[in-house]
Amino acid sequence: MNQILSKSPAPSDGPVIPNPKFQVRNLNFYYGTAHALHDISLDIAERKVTTFIGPSGCGKTTLIRCFNRIYELHPGHRASGEILMDGTNLLSKSQDVHALRAKVGMVFQKPTPFPMSVYDNIAFGVRLYERLSRTRMDDRVEWALKKSALWEEVKDKLLESGTRLSGGQQQRLCIARAIAIRPEVLLLDEPASALDPHSSLKIEALITELKADYTIILVTHNMQQAARVSDFAAFLFMGDLIEYKDIDTLLTNPSSPKTDAYITGRYG
Amino acid sequence: MWFRRLLALFALLVPLVLLAIAVFLVFYAWPAIHYNGLDFLWRDTWNIGNQYASPIQRHGETVMPGAQFGILFLVAGTLGSALIALLFAFPLGLGAALFLSEAVPHRFGHFVSFFVELLAGIPSVVFGLWGIVFLIPFLSHHVYPVLARLFHFIPFLTRPIGSGYGLLTSSLVLCLMIVPFITATLRDALRSQSTEMREAGISLGATRFEVATRILLPGQKTALAGATMLAFGRALGETMAVLMVSGNALNYLPHNVYSPISTMAAFIVAQLDSALADPTGMAVRSLAEIAVLLLVISLITNGIARLLIGMLKEHTL
Repeated sequence: MNQILSKSPAPSDGPVIPNPKFQVRNLNFYYGTAHALHDISLDIAERKVTTFIGPSGCGKTTLIRCFNRIYELHPGHRASGEILMDGTNLLSKSQDVHALRAKVGMVFQKPTPFPMSVYDNIAFGVRLYERLSRTRMDDRVEWALKKSALWEEVKDKLLESGTRLSGGQQQRLCIARAIAIRPEVLLLDEPASALDPHSSLKIEALITELKADYTIILVTHNMQQAARVSDFAAFLFMGDLIEYKDIDTLLTNPSSPKTDAYITGRYG
Repeated sequence: MWFRRLLALFALLVPLVLLAIAVFLVFYAWPAIHYNGLDFLWRDTWNIGNQYASPIQRHGETVMPGAQFGILFLVAGTLGSALIALLFAFPLGLGAALFLSEAVPHRFGHFVSFFVELLAGIPSVVFGLWGIVFLIPFLSHHVYPVLARLFHFIPFLTRPIGSGYGLLTSSLVLCLMIVPFITATLRDALRSQSTEMREAGISLGATRFEVATRILLPGQKTALAGATMLAFGRALGETMAVLMVSGNALNYLPHNVYSPISTMAAFIVAQLDSALADPTGMAVRSLAEIAVLLLVISLITNGIARLLIGMLKEHTL
Protein backbone atom coordinates (compact mmCIF):
# COMPACT_ATOMS: atom_id res chain seq x y z
CA MET A 1 0.00 0.00 0.00
CA ASN A 2 2.65 2.44 1.01
CA GLN A 3 4.62 1.51 -2.02
CA ILE A 4 1.77 2.34 -4.31
CA LEU A 5 1.20 5.60 -2.52
CA SER A 6 4.82 6.60 -2.73
CA LYS A 7 4.78 5.89 -6.45
CA SER A 8 2.14 8.53 -6.89
CA PRO A 9 3.38 11.72 -5.35
CA ALA A 10 0.80 14.44 -4.94
CA PRO A 11 0.81 17.13 -7.58
CA SER A 12 3.09 19.89 -6.35
CA ASP A 13 0.63 22.75 -6.69
CA GLY A 14 -2.41 21.12 -5.02
CA PRO A 15 -3.43 21.23 -1.38
CA VAL A 16 -1.65 18.80 0.95
CA ILE A 17 -4.00 15.88 1.49
CA PRO A 18 -2.87 13.07 3.77
CA ASN A 19 -4.30 9.62 2.88
CA PRO A 20 -6.30 10.72 -0.14
CA LYS A 21 -9.32 8.65 -1.20
CA PHE A 22 -8.53 9.20 -4.86
CA GLN A 23 -5.31 10.03 -6.63
CA VAL A 24 -5.91 11.20 -10.18
CA ARG A 25 -2.75 10.98 -12.26
CA ASN A 26 -2.27 12.25 -15.81
CA LEU A 27 -5.90 11.77 -16.68
CA ASN A 28 -6.78 12.47 -20.30
CA PHE A 29 -10.23 12.15 -21.71
CA TYR A 30 -11.43 11.92 -25.28
CA TYR A 31 -14.85 12.21 -26.91
CA GLY A 32 -13.92 10.38 -30.09
CA THR A 33 -11.09 12.57 -31.37
CA ALA A 34 -11.92 15.61 -29.21
CA HIS A 35 -9.45 15.89 -26.36
CA ALA A 36 -11.60 17.04 -23.44
CA LEU A 37 -9.32 16.70 -20.40
CA HIS A 38 -5.58 17.37 -20.49
CA ASP A 39 -3.28 15.62 -18.05
CA ILE A 40 -5.34 16.16 -14.92
CA SER A 41 -3.60 15.22 -11.66
CA LEU A 42 -5.13 15.84 -8.24
CA ASP A 43 -5.82 14.16 -4.91
CA ILE A 44 -9.27 13.89 -3.38
CA ALA A 45 -9.61 13.92 0.41
CA GLU A 46 -11.62 11.29 2.22
CA ARG A 47 -14.86 12.42 3.89
CA LYS A 48 -14.60 15.92 2.56
CA VAL A 49 -16.47 17.76 -0.13
CA THR A 50 -14.32 18.42 -3.19
CA THR A 51 -15.93 20.64 -5.79
CA PHE A 52 -15.12 21.04 -9.47
CA ILE A 53 -15.96 24.49 -10.76
CA GLY A 54 -15.51 26.25 -14.05
CA PRO A 55 -17.43 27.66 -17.01
CA SER A 56 -19.65 25.46 -19.19
CA GLY A 57 -17.61 23.08 -21.31
CA CYS A 58 -14.55 23.28 -19.04
CA GLY A 59 -14.57 19.55 -18.39
CA LYS A 60 -15.87 19.44 -14.82
CA THR A 61 -18.70 17.05 -15.64
CA THR A 62 -16.38 15.00 -17.85
CA LEU A 63 -13.99 14.69 -14.93
CA ILE A 64 -16.58 13.59 -12.37
CA ARG A 65 -17.91 10.98 -14.81
CA CYS A 66 -14.51 9.26 -14.77
CA PHE A 67 -14.79 8.26 -11.12
CA ASN A 68 -17.45 5.60 -11.73
CA ARG A 69 -16.64 5.08 -15.40
CA ILE A 70 -20.18 5.99 -16.35
CA TYR A 71 -18.78 7.43 -19.59
CA GLU A 72 -18.29 3.86 -20.84
CA LEU A 73 -21.98 3.75 -21.63
CA HIS A 74 -21.27 5.86 -24.69
CA PRO A 75 -19.18 4.56 -27.57
CA GLY A 76 -16.10 6.64 -28.35
CA HIS A 77 -15.77 8.06 -24.83
CA ARG A 78 -12.37 7.08 -23.52
CA ALA A 79 -10.10 7.91 -20.60
CA SER A 80 -6.37 7.30 -20.20
CA GLY A 81 -4.13 7.77 -17.20
CA GLU A 82 -4.88 6.62 -13.69
CA ILE A 83 -7.41 7.20 -10.97
CA LEU A 84 -6.26 5.37 -7.85
CA MET A 85 -8.98 4.63 -5.35
CA ASP A 86 -7.42 3.52 -2.06
CA GLY A 87 -4.37 2.66 -4.10
CA THR A 88 -5.89 0.62 -6.95
CA ASN A 89 -6.35 2.01 -10.42
CA LEU A 90 -10.05 2.04 -11.13
CA LEU A 91 -9.47 2.79 -14.81
CA SER A 92 -7.62 -0.47 -15.35
CA LYS A 93 -9.29 -3.16 -17.43
CA SER A 94 -9.24 -5.60 -14.53
CA GLN A 95 -11.37 -3.31 -12.37
CA ASP A 96 -14.87 -4.78 -11.96
CA VAL A 97 -17.19 -1.85 -12.74
CA HIS A 98 -20.07 -3.48 -10.90
CA ALA A 99 -17.98 -3.51 -7.71
CA LEU A 100 -16.74 0.01 -8.44
CA ARG A 101 -20.27 1.37 -8.73
CA ALA A 102 -21.21 -0.29 -5.45
CA LYS A 103 -18.57 1.89 -3.81
CA VAL A 104 -19.08 5.03 -5.88
CA GLY A 105 -22.64 6.28 -6.13
CA MET A 106 -23.78 9.05 -8.44
CA VAL A 107 -26.56 11.64 -8.56
CA PHE A 108 -27.27 13.55 -11.74
CA GLN A 109 -28.40 17.05 -12.61
CA LYS A 110 -31.90 16.03 -13.60
CA PRO A 111 -33.77 14.01 -10.96
CA THR A 112 -34.25 10.51 -12.37
CA PRO A 113 -36.74 8.59 -10.25
CA PHE A 114 -37.45 5.21 -11.83
CA PRO A 115 -41.07 4.59 -12.89
CA MET A 116 -41.79 2.52 -9.80
CA SER A 117 -42.76 3.05 -6.17
CA VAL A 118 -40.64 5.11 -3.77
CA TYR A 119 -39.83 1.88 -1.95
CA ASP A 120 -38.78 0.02 -5.09
CA ASN A 121 -36.72 2.96 -6.29
CA ILE A 122 -34.47 2.36 -3.32
CA ALA A 123 -34.73 -1.41 -3.17
CA PHE A 124 -33.82 -1.68 -6.86
CA GLY A 125 -30.16 -0.87 -6.36
CA VAL A 126 -29.87 -2.86 -3.14
CA ARG A 127 -31.25 -5.95 -4.87
CA LEU A 128 -28.44 -5.77 -7.42
CA TYR A 129 -25.94 -6.54 -4.67
CA GLU A 130 -27.68 -8.12 -1.71
CA ARG A 131 -30.48 -10.56 -0.98
CA LEU A 132 -32.24 -9.11 2.02
CA SER A 133 -35.25 -10.40 3.90
CA ARG A 134 -38.35 -8.26 3.73
CA THR A 135 -37.81 -6.74 7.18
CA ARG A 136 -34.14 -6.02 6.56
CA MET A 137 -35.00 -4.41 3.24
CA ASP A 138 -37.65 -2.31 5.00
CA ASP A 139 -34.99 -1.22 7.47
CA ARG A 140 -32.56 -0.37 4.71
CA VAL A 141 -35.13 1.69 2.82
CA GLU A 142 -36.08 3.57 5.97
CA TRP A 143 -32.43 4.16 6.84
CA ALA A 144 -31.60 5.50 3.37
CA LEU A 145 -34.63 7.77 3.37
CA LYS A 146 -33.81 9.12 6.82
CA LYS A 147 -30.22 9.64 5.84
CA SER A 148 -31.32 11.69 2.84
CA ALA A 149 -33.80 13.73 4.91
CA LEU A 150 -36.78 12.44 2.98
CA TRP A 151 -38.34 9.96 5.43
CA GLU A 152 -40.72 12.37 7.14
CA GLU A 153 -42.13 13.50 3.81
CA VAL A 154 -42.63 10.09 2.18
CA LYS A 155 -43.11 7.59 4.99
CA ASP A 156 -46.85 7.45 4.27
CA LYS A 157 -46.48 7.10 0.52
CA LEU A 158 -43.75 4.52 0.10
CA LEU A 159 -45.88 2.60 -2.35
CA GLU A 160 -46.73 5.61 -4.49
CA SER A 161 -44.81 6.20 -7.68
CA GLY A 162 -41.48 7.97 -7.24
CA THR A 163 -42.29 10.14 -10.24
CA ARG A 164 -45.14 11.81 -8.30
CA LEU A 165 -42.79 13.47 -5.79
CA SER A 166 -41.75 17.09 -6.20
CA GLY A 167 -38.48 17.88 -7.97
CA GLY A 168 -36.57 18.40 -4.74
CA GLN A 169 -38.00 15.24 -3.22
CA GLN A 170 -37.14 13.32 -6.37
CA GLN A 171 -33.55 14.47 -6.13
CA ARG A 172 -33.33 13.43 -2.48
CA LEU A 173 -34.87 10.12 -3.50
CA CYS A 174 -32.01 9.72 -5.98
CA ILE A 175 -29.53 10.46 -3.21
CA ALA A 176 -31.28 7.94 -0.96
CA ARG A 177 -31.11 5.42 -3.79
CA ALA A 178 -27.36 5.92 -4.11
CA ILE A 179 -26.81 5.77 -0.35
CA ALA A 180 -28.88 2.61 0.09
CA ILE A 181 -26.16 0.56 -1.59
CA ARG A 182 -23.82 1.83 1.15
CA PRO A 183 -21.16 3.39 -1.05
CA GLU A 184 -18.00 5.11 0.18
CA VAL A 185 -18.12 7.92 -2.34
CA LEU A 186 -20.89 10.09 -3.74
CA LEU A 187 -20.54 11.86 -7.07
CA LEU A 188 -22.95 14.76 -7.31
CA ASP A 189 -23.17 16.29 -10.78
CA GLU A 190 -24.91 19.65 -10.34
CA PRO A 191 -27.46 18.01 -8.06
CA ALA A 192 -29.32 21.22 -7.23
CA SER A 193 -29.20 23.16 -10.48
CA ALA A 194 -32.60 21.95 -11.68
CA LEU A 195 -34.29 22.75 -8.36
CA ASP A 196 -35.93 25.79 -6.83
CA PRO A 197 -33.86 27.76 -4.26
CA HIS A 198 -35.60 26.19 -1.27
CA SER A 199 -35.05 22.61 -2.44
CA SER A 200 -31.55 23.58 -3.46
CA LEU A 201 -30.73 24.70 0.09
CA LYS A 202 -32.10 21.44 1.45
CA ILE A 203 -29.76 19.51 -0.83
CA GLU A 204 -26.83 21.64 0.35
CA ALA A 205 -27.65 21.01 3.98
CA LEU A 206 -27.81 17.32 3.16
CA ILE A 207 -24.40 17.40 1.48
CA THR A 208 -22.86 19.00 4.56
CA GLU A 209 -24.38 16.29 6.72
CA LEU A 210 -23.37 13.43 4.46
CA LYS A 211 -19.71 14.31 4.32
CA ALA A 212 -19.24 12.86 7.79
CA ASP A 213 -19.69 9.42 6.25
CA TYR A 214 -18.91 9.82 2.58
CA THR A 215 -16.26 11.22 0.34
CA ILE A 216 -18.19 13.68 -1.81
CA ILE A 217 -17.23 15.02 -5.20
CA LEU A 218 -19.45 17.83 -6.40
CA VAL A 219 -19.82 19.63 -9.69
CA THR A 220 -21.53 22.98 -9.60
CA HIS A 221 -21.65 26.23 -11.52
CA ASN A 222 -23.04 28.05 -8.52
CA MET A 223 -20.19 29.81 -6.70
CA GLN A 224 -22.24 30.54 -3.58
CA GLN A 225 -23.11 26.89 -3.34
CA ALA A 226 -19.48 25.88 -3.79
CA ALA A 227 -18.49 28.33 -1.06
CA ARG A 228 -21.13 27.03 1.35
CA VAL A 229 -20.51 23.30 1.07
CA SER A 230 -16.97 22.65 -0.19
CA ASP A 231 -13.77 21.88 1.63
CA PHE A 232 -11.63 21.88 -1.49
CA ALA A 233 -12.25 23.21 -4.94
CA ALA A 234 -10.63 22.70 -8.32
CA PHE A 235 -11.05 25.25 -11.08
CA LEU A 236 -11.05 23.82 -14.59
CA PHE A 237 -10.84 25.76 -17.80
CA MET A 238 -11.00 24.30 -21.31
CA GLY A 239 -9.97 20.86 -20.14
CA ASP A 240 -7.07 22.02 -17.99
CA LEU A 241 -6.87 21.99 -14.22
CA ILE A 242 -5.99 25.61 -13.54
CA GLU A 243 -6.01 25.70 -9.80
CA TYR A 244 -6.78 23.35 -6.90
CA LYS A 245 -6.94 24.65 -3.33
CA ASP A 246 -8.98 24.65 -0.19
CA ILE A 247 -12.14 26.58 -0.94
CA ASP A 248 -11.39 29.67 1.13
CA THR A 249 -8.03 30.27 -0.47
CA LEU A 250 -9.38 29.64 -3.93
CA LEU A 251 -12.20 32.12 -3.46
CA THR A 252 -10.29 34.84 -1.62
CA ASN A 253 -6.83 34.53 -3.02
CA PRO A 254 -6.79 32.80 -6.41
CA SER A 255 -3.35 32.59 -7.95
CA SER A 256 -4.50 32.41 -11.56
CA PRO A 257 -6.11 35.39 -13.29
CA LYS A 258 -8.47 32.94 -15.03
CA THR A 259 -9.81 31.72 -11.69
CA ASP A 260 -10.13 35.28 -10.49
CA ALA A 261 -12.05 36.24 -13.62
CA TYR A 262 -14.43 33.31 -13.21
CA ILE A 263 -15.21 33.71 -9.53
CA THR A 264 -15.75 37.41 -9.89
CA GLY A 265 -18.21 36.62 -12.62
CA ARG A 266 -16.48 37.97 -15.68
CA TYR A 267 -17.40 34.86 -17.65
CA GLY A 268 -19.14 31.59 -17.21
CA MET B 1 -63.48 30.35 -48.84
CA TRP B 2 -64.47 27.81 -51.49
CA PHE B 3 -60.95 26.37 -51.13
CA ARG B 4 -61.43 25.77 -47.42
CA ARG B 5 -64.75 24.10 -48.10
CA LEU B 6 -63.13 21.90 -50.71
CA LEU B 7 -60.44 20.83 -48.25
CA ALA B 8 -63.03 20.19 -45.56
CA LEU B 9 -64.88 18.00 -48.03
CA PHE B 10 -61.72 16.01 -48.75
CA ALA B 11 -61.01 15.66 -45.06
CA LEU B 12 -64.51 14.44 -44.40
CA LEU B 13 -64.39 12.06 -47.35
CA VAL B 14 -62.16 9.53 -45.61
CA PRO B 15 -64.33 8.88 -42.53
CA LEU B 16 -67.40 9.07 -44.78
CA VAL B 17 -66.04 6.33 -47.02
CA LEU B 18 -65.37 4.15 -43.98
CA LEU B 19 -68.87 4.79 -42.70
CA ALA B 20 -70.37 4.14 -46.13
CA ILE B 21 -68.54 0.80 -46.39
CA ALA B 22 -69.69 -0.24 -42.94
CA VAL B 23 -73.31 0.81 -43.55
CA PHE B 24 -73.35 -0.86 -46.95
CA LEU B 25 -71.89 -4.08 -45.53
CA VAL B 26 -74.43 -4.26 -42.74
CA PHE B 27 -77.35 -3.57 -45.13
CA TYR B 28 -76.08 -6.05 -47.64
CA ALA B 29 -75.48 -8.71 -45.01
CA TRP B 30 -78.73 -8.04 -43.19
CA PRO B 31 -80.76 -10.93 -44.73
CA ALA B 32 -77.89 -13.28 -43.81
CA ILE B 33 -77.69 -11.90 -40.28
CA HIS B 34 -81.42 -12.45 -39.99
CA TYR B 35 -81.34 -15.93 -41.55
CA ASN B 36 -78.27 -17.22 -39.70
CA GLY B 37 -78.97 -15.70 -36.30
CA LEU B 38 -76.51 -16.27 -33.50
CA ASP B 39 -75.93 -19.83 -34.69
CA PHE B 40 -73.65 -18.28 -37.28
CA LEU B 41 -70.90 -18.14 -34.67
CA TRP B 42 -71.43 -21.55 -33.05
CA ARG B 43 -72.17 -23.78 -36.01
CA ASP B 44 -69.22 -25.40 -37.71
CA THR B 45 -70.77 -26.15 -41.09
CA TRP B 46 -70.76 -23.94 -44.14
CA ASN B 47 -73.12 -25.33 -46.75
CA ILE B 48 -74.51 -23.20 -49.54
CA GLY B 49 -77.26 -25.78 -50.15
CA ASN B 50 -78.40 -27.81 -53.13
CA GLN B 51 -77.71 -25.62 -56.11
CA TYR B 52 -79.77 -27.80 -58.47
CA ALA B 53 -83.03 -27.57 -56.51
CA SER B 54 -85.50 -24.72 -56.44
CA PRO B 55 -85.14 -22.01 -53.79
CA ILE B 56 -87.27 -22.37 -50.69
CA GLN B 57 -88.49 -20.01 -47.97
CA ARG B 58 -86.97 -20.41 -44.50
CA HIS B 59 -87.05 -18.02 -41.58
CA GLY B 60 -88.61 -15.53 -43.95
CA GLU B 61 -85.68 -15.60 -46.40
CA THR B 62 -85.27 -17.21 -49.79
CA VAL B 63 -82.48 -19.79 -49.70
CA MET B 64 -81.41 -22.96 -51.46
CA PRO B 65 -82.56 -26.15 -49.70
CA GLY B 66 -80.04 -27.29 -47.06
CA ALA B 67 -78.29 -23.92 -46.93
CA GLN B 68 -76.62 -23.50 -43.56
CA PHE B 69 -73.95 -21.04 -42.67
CA GLY B 70 -71.76 -21.46 -39.60
CA ILE B 71 -68.24 -20.19 -39.12
CA LEU B 72 -67.07 -21.72 -35.86
CA PHE B 73 -64.18 -23.37 -37.72
CA LEU B 74 -63.23 -19.98 -39.13
CA VAL B 75 -63.35 -18.35 -35.73
CA ALA B 76 -61.15 -21.14 -34.38
CA GLY B 77 -58.71 -20.84 -37.28
CA THR B 78 -58.56 -17.04 -37.12
CA LEU B 79 -58.13 -16.74 -33.36
CA GLY B 80 -55.86 -19.79 -33.19
CA SER B 81 -53.46 -18.67 -35.90
CA ALA B 82 -53.37 -15.08 -34.65
CA LEU B 83 -52.81 -16.09 -31.04
CA ILE B 84 -50.05 -18.58 -31.86
CA ALA B 85 -48.46 -15.99 -34.15
CA LEU B 86 -48.51 -13.52 -31.27
CA LEU B 87 -47.04 -16.13 -28.95
CA PHE B 88 -43.97 -16.29 -31.19
CA ALA B 89 -43.93 -12.68 -32.31
CA PHE B 90 -44.10 -11.15 -28.84
CA PRO B 91 -40.83 -12.51 -27.43
CA LEU B 92 -39.15 -12.17 -30.83
CA GLY B 93 -40.22 -8.55 -31.22
CA LEU B 94 -39.37 -7.73 -27.64
CA GLY B 95 -35.94 -9.31 -27.97
CA ALA B 96 -35.26 -7.57 -31.26
CA ALA B 97 -36.33 -4.20 -29.85
CA LEU B 98 -34.14 -4.64 -26.78
CA PHE B 99 -31.24 -5.69 -28.96
CA LEU B 100 -31.64 -2.81 -31.41
CA SER B 101 -32.03 -0.09 -28.81
CA GLU B 102 -29.62 -1.33 -26.14
CA ALA B 103 -27.08 -3.84 -27.39
CA VAL B 104 -25.78 -2.59 -30.71
CA PRO B 105 -24.06 0.66 -31.70
CA HIS B 106 -26.48 3.24 -33.02
CA ARG B 107 -25.39 3.15 -36.64
CA PHE B 108 -25.67 -0.62 -36.86
CA GLY B 109 -28.98 -0.44 -35.03
CA HIS B 110 -30.34 1.99 -37.62
CA PHE B 111 -29.10 -0.27 -40.38
CA VAL B 112 -30.87 -3.32 -38.97
CA SER B 113 -33.96 -1.26 -38.12
CA PHE B 114 -34.23 -0.34 -41.77
CA PHE B 115 -34.58 -4.01 -42.63
CA VAL B 116 -37.09 -4.60 -39.88
CA GLU B 117 -39.25 -1.84 -41.33
CA LEU B 118 -38.72 -3.22 -44.81
CA LEU B 119 -40.14 -6.51 -43.58
CA ALA B 120 -43.35 -4.68 -42.69
CA GLY B 121 -43.66 -3.34 -46.23
CA ILE B 122 -43.33 -6.62 -48.13
CA PRO B 123 -46.58 -7.53 -49.95
CA SER B 124 -48.25 -10.42 -48.20
CA VAL B 125 -48.45 -12.47 -51.39
CA VAL B 126 -44.65 -12.61 -51.32
CA PHE B 127 -44.76 -14.08 -47.82
CA GLY B 128 -47.35 -16.56 -49.05
CA LEU B 129 -45.30 -17.66 -52.02
CA TRP B 130 -42.18 -18.00 -49.90
CA GLY B 131 -44.26 -20.03 -47.47
CA ILE B 132 -45.34 -22.42 -50.21
CA VAL B 133 -42.02 -22.92 -51.97
CA PHE B 134 -39.68 -22.88 -49.01
CA LEU B 135 -41.28 -22.92 -45.59
CA ILE B 136 -43.83 -25.69 -46.10
CA PRO B 137 -41.46 -28.29 -47.61
CA PHE B 138 -38.88 -27.45 -44.96
CA LEU B 139 -41.30 -27.60 -42.04
CA SER B 140 -43.17 -30.69 -43.15
CA HIS B 141 -40.00 -32.69 -43.86
CA HIS B 142 -37.59 -31.52 -41.21
CA VAL B 143 -39.36 -29.72 -38.39
CA TYR B 144 -42.84 -31.10 -37.85
CA PRO B 145 -41.82 -34.80 -37.71
CA VAL B 146 -39.25 -33.97 -35.03
CA LEU B 147 -41.66 -31.74 -33.16
CA ALA B 148 -44.38 -34.40 -33.21
CA ARG B 149 -41.96 -37.06 -31.96
CA LEU B 150 -40.45 -34.89 -29.23
CA PHE B 151 -43.81 -33.76 -27.89
CA HIS B 152 -45.86 -36.87 -28.64
CA PHE B 153 -47.36 -36.64 -25.13
CA ILE B 154 -48.90 -33.21 -25.79
CA PRO B 155 -52.23 -33.64 -27.64
CA PHE B 156 -51.90 -30.50 -29.79
CA LEU B 157 -48.39 -31.30 -30.93
CA THR B 158 -48.65 -34.99 -31.67
CA ARG B 159 -49.25 -36.69 -35.05
CA PRO B 160 -50.71 -36.60 -37.67
CA ILE B 161 -48.53 -33.86 -39.12
CA GLY B 162 -50.40 -33.57 -42.40
CA SER B 163 -49.12 -31.81 -45.48
CA GLY B 164 -47.42 -28.81 -43.93
CA TYR B 165 -50.31 -26.54 -44.90
CA GLY B 166 -52.05 -25.63 -41.69
CA LEU B 167 -52.36 -23.82 -38.41
CA LEU B 168 -48.75 -23.69 -37.25
CA THR B 169 -47.42 -22.79 -40.71
CA SER B 170 -49.95 -19.97 -40.97
CA SER B 171 -48.95 -18.77 -37.52
CA LEU B 172 -45.26 -18.75 -38.41
CA VAL B 173 -45.85 -16.75 -41.58
CA LEU B 174 -48.12 -14.36 -39.65
CA CYS B 175 -45.48 -14.08 -36.96
CA LEU B 176 -42.92 -12.82 -39.50
CA MET B 177 -45.43 -10.29 -40.75
CA ILE B 178 -46.29 -8.83 -37.35
CA VAL B 179 -42.88 -8.88 -35.66
CA PRO B 180 -41.91 -5.55 -37.30
CA PHE B 181 -44.90 -3.82 -35.67
CA ILE B 182 -43.88 -4.93 -32.21
CA THR B 183 -40.18 -4.32 -32.79
CA ALA B 184 -40.55 -0.85 -34.28
CA THR B 185 -43.03 0.44 -31.70
CA LEU B 186 -41.06 -0.90 -28.75
CA ARG B 187 -37.70 0.17 -30.10
CA ASP B 188 -38.96 3.73 -30.50
CA ALA B 189 -40.47 3.64 -27.02
CA LEU B 190 -37.19 2.46 -25.54
CA ARG B 191 -35.11 4.94 -27.51
CA SER B 192 -37.34 7.82 -26.52
CA GLN B 193 -36.35 7.29 -22.89
CA SER B 194 -33.78 9.70 -21.68
CA THR B 195 -30.08 8.97 -21.42
CA GLU B 196 -30.36 10.25 -17.83
CA MET B 197 -32.62 7.36 -16.86
CA ARG B 198 -30.21 4.91 -18.43
CA GLU B 199 -27.19 6.45 -16.73
CA ALA B 200 -29.00 6.50 -13.39
CA GLY B 201 -29.51 2.75 -13.62
CA ILE B 202 -25.97 2.11 -14.80
CA SER B 203 -24.51 4.26 -12.02
CA LEU B 204 -26.19 2.00 -9.46
CA GLY B 205 -24.25 -0.89 -10.93
CA ALA B 206 -26.98 -2.39 -13.10
CA THR B 207 -26.05 -3.80 -16.50
CA ARG B 208 -27.52 -2.33 -19.67
CA PHE B 209 -29.79 -5.33 -19.88
CA GLU B 210 -31.00 -4.91 -16.31
CA VAL B 211 -31.64 -1.24 -16.94
CA ALA B 212 -33.62 -2.01 -20.10
CA THR B 213 -35.71 -4.82 -18.65
CA ARG B 214 -36.28 -3.55 -15.13
CA ILE B 215 -36.34 0.23 -15.49
CA LEU B 216 -37.08 1.20 -19.08
CA LEU B 217 -39.53 -1.53 -20.10
CA PRO B 218 -41.82 -1.38 -17.06
CA GLY B 219 -42.40 2.27 -17.95
CA GLN B 220 -43.44 1.15 -21.41
CA LYS B 221 -46.21 -1.28 -20.50
CA THR B 222 -48.78 0.67 -22.47
CA ALA B 223 -46.58 0.84 -25.55
CA LEU B 224 -46.05 -2.88 -25.26
CA ALA B 225 -49.77 -3.55 -24.98
CA GLY B 226 -50.61 -1.13 -27.80
CA ALA B 227 -48.07 -2.65 -30.17
CA THR B 228 -49.31 -6.11 -29.34
CA MET B 229 -52.92 -5.19 -30.04
CA LEU B 230 -52.00 -3.60 -33.37
CA ALA B 231 -50.05 -6.70 -34.32
CA PHE B 232 -52.92 -8.92 -33.23
CA GLY B 233 -55.32 -6.91 -35.37
CA ARG B 234 -53.06 -7.28 -38.35
CA ALA B 235 -52.78 -11.04 -37.80
CA LEU B 236 -56.56 -11.40 -37.55
CA GLY B 237 -57.17 -9.57 -40.80
CA GLU B 238 -54.30 -10.92 -42.89
CA THR B 239 -55.69 -12.54 -46.02
CA MET B 240 -53.42 -13.48 -48.86
CA ALA B 241 -50.47 -15.10 -47.08
CA VAL B 242 -52.76 -17.16 -44.88
CA LEU B 243 -54.90 -18.16 -47.84
CA MET B 244 -51.78 -19.58 -49.49
CA VAL B 245 -50.40 -21.61 -46.58
CA SER B 246 -53.38 -22.48 -44.38
CA GLY B 247 -54.70 -25.49 -46.30
CA ASN B 248 -58.13 -23.86 -46.75
CA ALA B 249 -60.01 -26.18 -44.46
CA LEU B 250 -63.77 -26.27 -44.91
CA ASN B 251 -66.06 -27.31 -42.07
CA TYR B 252 -63.15 -28.69 -40.16
CA LEU B 253 -62.10 -27.78 -36.65
CA PRO B 254 -58.34 -28.07 -36.11
CA HIS B 255 -57.38 -30.84 -33.66
CA ASN B 256 -53.68 -30.22 -33.60
CA VAL B 257 -51.29 -27.48 -34.68
CA TYR B 258 -50.64 -29.20 -38.02
CA SER B 259 -54.33 -29.30 -39.00
CA PRO B 260 -55.40 -27.36 -42.05
CA ILE B 261 -57.39 -24.28 -41.14
CA SER B 262 -59.03 -21.34 -42.75
CA THR B 263 -59.45 -17.84 -41.43
CA MET B 264 -62.32 -15.42 -41.83
CA ALA B 265 -60.45 -13.14 -44.21
CA ALA B 266 -58.98 -15.92 -46.31
CA PHE B 267 -62.30 -17.72 -46.45
CA ILE B 268 -64.07 -14.76 -48.07
CA VAL B 269 -61.61 -14.89 -50.94
CA ALA B 270 -61.58 -18.67 -51.19
CA GLN B 271 -65.38 -19.07 -51.21
CA LEU B 272 -66.44 -16.05 -53.22
CA ASP B 273 -66.53 -17.93 -56.53
CA SER B 274 -68.82 -20.72 -55.38
CA ALA B 275 -70.91 -18.32 -53.29
CA LEU B 276 -71.63 -16.24 -56.39
CA ALA B 277 -73.17 -19.33 -57.96
CA ASP B 278 -75.95 -19.27 -55.34
CA PRO B 279 -78.97 -17.79 -57.18
CA THR B 280 -80.57 -16.60 -53.93
CA GLY B 281 -77.50 -14.57 -53.03
CA MET B 282 -77.62 -15.81 -49.46
CA ALA B 283 -74.09 -17.33 -49.68
CA VAL B 284 -72.51 -14.02 -50.71
CA ARG B 285 -74.53 -12.19 -48.07
CA SER B 286 -73.22 -14.64 -45.49
CA LEU B 287 -69.68 -13.90 -46.67
CA ALA B 288 -70.53 -10.24 -46.19
CA GLU B 289 -71.62 -11.09 -42.66
CA ILE B 290 -68.12 -12.48 -42.07
CA ALA B 291 -66.76 -9.20 -43.42
CA VAL B 292 -68.94 -7.26 -40.99
CA LEU B 293 -67.60 -9.35 -38.11
CA LEU B 294 -64.04 -8.83 -39.30
CA LEU B 295 -64.61 -5.09 -39.51
CA VAL B 296 -66.03 -4.99 -36.00
CA ILE B 297 -63.13 -7.03 -34.62
CA SER B 298 -60.50 -4.88 -36.30
CA LEU B 299 -62.24 -1.69 -35.13
CA ILE B 300 -62.20 -3.02 -31.57
CA THR B 301 -58.55 -4.14 -31.59
CA ASN B 302 -57.43 -0.92 -33.29
CA GLY B 303 -59.50 1.12 -30.88
CA ILE B 304 -57.90 -0.54 -27.88
CA ALA B 305 -54.43 -0.15 -29.40
CA ARG B 306 -54.96 3.58 -30.12
CA LEU B 307 -56.30 4.08 -26.65
CA LEU B 308 -53.24 2.46 -25.09
CA ILE B 309 -50.77 4.32 -27.30
CA GLY B 310 -52.67 7.55 -26.63
CA MET B 311 -52.38 6.93 -22.89
CA LEU B 312 -48.66 6.45 -23.39
CA LYS B 313 -48.27 9.80 -25.16
CA GLU B 314 -50.20 11.59 -22.45
CA HIS B 315 -47.99 9.92 -19.91
CA THR B 316 -44.70 10.99 -21.46
CA LEU B 317 -45.75 14.62 -22.03
